Amino acid sequence: MSERPQHRRPATFNLDDPGVIVMDPDDASRPARGTVHVTPETDPALLPVAVEAPVLPMQRGFRWGAVFWTAIAGLVLLGTGLGVAHLIEDLFARSESLGWLGLGFAFAAALALVVVIAREALGLARLATIEKLHQRAAAVLLSDDRPESRAILRDLLKVAHQNPQLARARATLTGHADDIIDGADLIRLAERELMTPLDQEARRLISSAAQRVSIVTAVSPRALVDVLFVFAASLRLIRQLARLYGGRPGALGMIRLMRHVIAHVAITGGMAASDSLIQQVLGHGLAAKLSQRLGEGVLNGLLTARLGLAAIDVTRPLPFTALPRPALGDLAKDLLRKRDSDV
Amino acid sequence: MALRFSDIVEEAWLSARALRDFGDHFFNPTVRLGVTGLSRAGKTVFITALIHGLTRGGRFPVFEPFATGRIARARLEPQPDDAVPRFDYENHVRTLITERRWPNSTVDISELRLVIDYQRQNGADRTLTLDIVDYPGEWLLDLPLLNKSYEQWSQESLALSREQPRAKLAAPWHAQLATLSAEGREDEQAALSAARLFTDYLRACRDERFAMSLLPPGRFLMPGNLAGSPALTFAPLDLPQQSIAPEGSLWAMMVRRYEAYKDVVVRPFFRDHFSRLDRQIVLVDALAAFNAGPEALADLEAALAGILDCFRIGRSTLLSALFRPKIDRILFAATKADHLHHSSHDRLEAVLRRAVARAVARAENTGADIDVVALAAVRATREATVARGREKLPSILGTPASGEIANGETFDGTTEVATFPGDLPLDPEQLFTGETAFRGLSSAAAEKADFRFLRFRPPQLDNEGPDGPALPHIRLDRALQFLIGDKLQ
Repeated sequence: MSERPQHRRPATFNLDDPGVIVMDPDDASRPARGTVHVTPETDPALLPVAVEAPVLPMQRGFRWGAVFWTAIAGLVLLGTGLGVAHLIEDLFARSESLGWLGLGFAFAAALALVVVIAREALGLARLATIEKLHQRAAAVLLSDDRPESRAILRDLLKVAHQNPQLARARATLTGHADDIIDGADLIRLAERELMTPLDQEARRLISSAAQRVSIVTAVSPRALVDVLFVFAASLRLIRQLARLYGGRPGALGMIRLMRHVIAHVAITGGMAASDSLIQQVLGHGLAAKLSQRLGEGVLNGLLTARLGLAAIDVTRPLPFTALPRPALGDLAKDLLRKRDSDV
Repeated sequence: MALRFSDIVEEAWLSARALRDFGDHFFNPTVRLGVTGLSRAGKTVFITALIHGLTRGGRFPVFEPFATGRIARARLEPQPDDAVPRFDYENHVRTLITERRWPNSTVDISELRLVIDYQRQNGADRTLTLDIVDYPGEWLLDLPLLNKSYEQWSQESLALSREQPRAKLAAPWHAQLATLSAEGREDEQAALSAARLFTDYLRACRDERFAMSLLPPGRFLMPGNLAGSPALTFAPLDLPQQSIAPEGSLWAMMVRRYEAYKDVVVRPFFRDHFSRLDRQIVLVDALAAFNAGPEALADLEAALAGILDCFRIGRSTLLSALFRPKIDRILFAATKADHLHHSSHDRLEAVLRRAVARAVARAENTGADIDVVALAAVRATREATVARGREKLPSILGTPASGEIANGETFDGTTEVATFPGDLPLDPEQLFTGETAFRGLSSAAAEKADFRFLRFRPPQLDNEGPDGPALPHIRLDRALQFLIGDKLQ
């Protein structure tokens, strides 16, 4: 047909025909010329689908705890306000200039409080957006829903907009947005384009934090210093990772993130223990033979690294499908190599 | 005025029953799912696969309540309507799995009740009753007759039968029609032979080579227990313009029988079954239309538009649930997607979306959800790449049903073949550009056709597990999620 030159005619090949050869998909050899080769494809429906368990169990029911804390916070705020009002009244009674000064301080404090609250709220909303994106992306990977994948891509580009390193990746993705790509494939494409540099950076952050922790633990004079340092380093790491993947957590956001990360460590703990921790513990045993402090240092470093990996899972806006999930083993190798060169 | 009054009575009756149903279903919600499609679209296979998958446990990753394990079990129960035949699920499963044959086609309405025990997302234990109502799509095309007089219908049918390629098939009937005088005396024998020739013409249009869809009245092709009764013994006549039927004439007899057809056949169906549906899936065999040619595709589009005009669609509100149940979700499914390589499924969907575009636009204003999906309730084929010289053809592997013909070879139902059915265009508009859009069996020789979709036998399944094998499918889970997923939240 002239108007559709690319149209291919229907054809049927009888498999019993000697001119038709059925080939194994893994077979790379090239059989005789002039024959027709039929290569059965692996059935996409029978391939195992990697289903990510939701990072957190779904919230259900009425949140009485939240009501309690809100009410208490309101009461405290009212009490403070009352106290401040009394204080300013007293100040005015004593001297007018003192009163004005007090009023000025009170206003400044109120303003700062409003700004802080607004920032916290924004940070929380942003974290929630990212979490939601993660869940939606996981759902699309299953359902292959094309319009939904387009919507996710738009939101993802919005989240990634603040990161100047991703300008080129964003442009590439925007170019692909109107192509015919299946839903799940689009998500994988977005992951490859946007997440590759971020994942590398995240790995670097985790391994440097882990190294720092292990060194400090090895040389610190007291156990209390260890604990405080590990805690501070973990907080800092989680904050850095959240920022890297597009979140801007404030104090409340950090509390929320910490809870998620710890919950995630607990959920995935069993899995990790089976695959890689055993060898790490063995390695630790060896290191502990050499020096007790050295062994503790390595173990603390590994724990920090595990925390960081859990934080990646919680803060990353897309689930791991196209890219490999960073494994504890890789980070541990970095850590031990560094330790060896230090010692 | 009398007609107006009877309409009001009818509406009141429907409302009263809807109110009673609502009371019954307040605690144990019931969803009436209508499954329809023109003949050979795959209604029976769809229902069989759906019930088999839900009761026995199939692979439904996209059907959320099932995939997350919230559905405890699904079981069959006796249906509530005593006058409606039961859907013969057990026999259909046996035919599919052990005999590897497609079940016989739907000729009558049938119903089956499926009870699903599930747990809501907040943890409460609930039961959803799913009444699956299976009825031939041809009956839907009868519903517009309710608003048409005999004269109108007669004129439209005649005009349609004089278009190509129908005119060729209608020739014997047209010849007999020319001998009849509408104002002559009524004559039972003339009416009988006119009805017989008219039915033959309709049946010929349905043949695989033409695959016409718009063929009312539907009961002529599947008469059931009314075969031979006067209500089915009428045909269009060449009527004089602007005149009324003289008493005792053939014309008056036809008018009477046409009205009887509406009263005996169409209205009861509308009242007892159709007006009570909550959800609807319309199965469409677009591939048969591709095989036949552009006329068949245009006819299919017209038939789909006709079907959509019948539905009472709109978002269900509390008030409408009380007095006038509405269909709030309609899924159009292009069946037999397994006859295409999966890379072409999107194009098939696009074609169907194009065919129902007008209807979708109308439904969006009413708040109802309409979706389009390419599915295969039972997947009969595997996929393969065929390399012929430099060319790589995305093909499918399967066993063609016995009697299928391709490349001049007739298959016996045991040989396996790889077939490439032809490329669907990227832009569905290309298929709708008129009679020269592509070549089908109705106008060209078999080897010249642009598409060739073979019919395959059901797949060979290994009998693992105590409940028999799971039936493979394509996107049946997505269809389920759309149709009842929200009721299982």
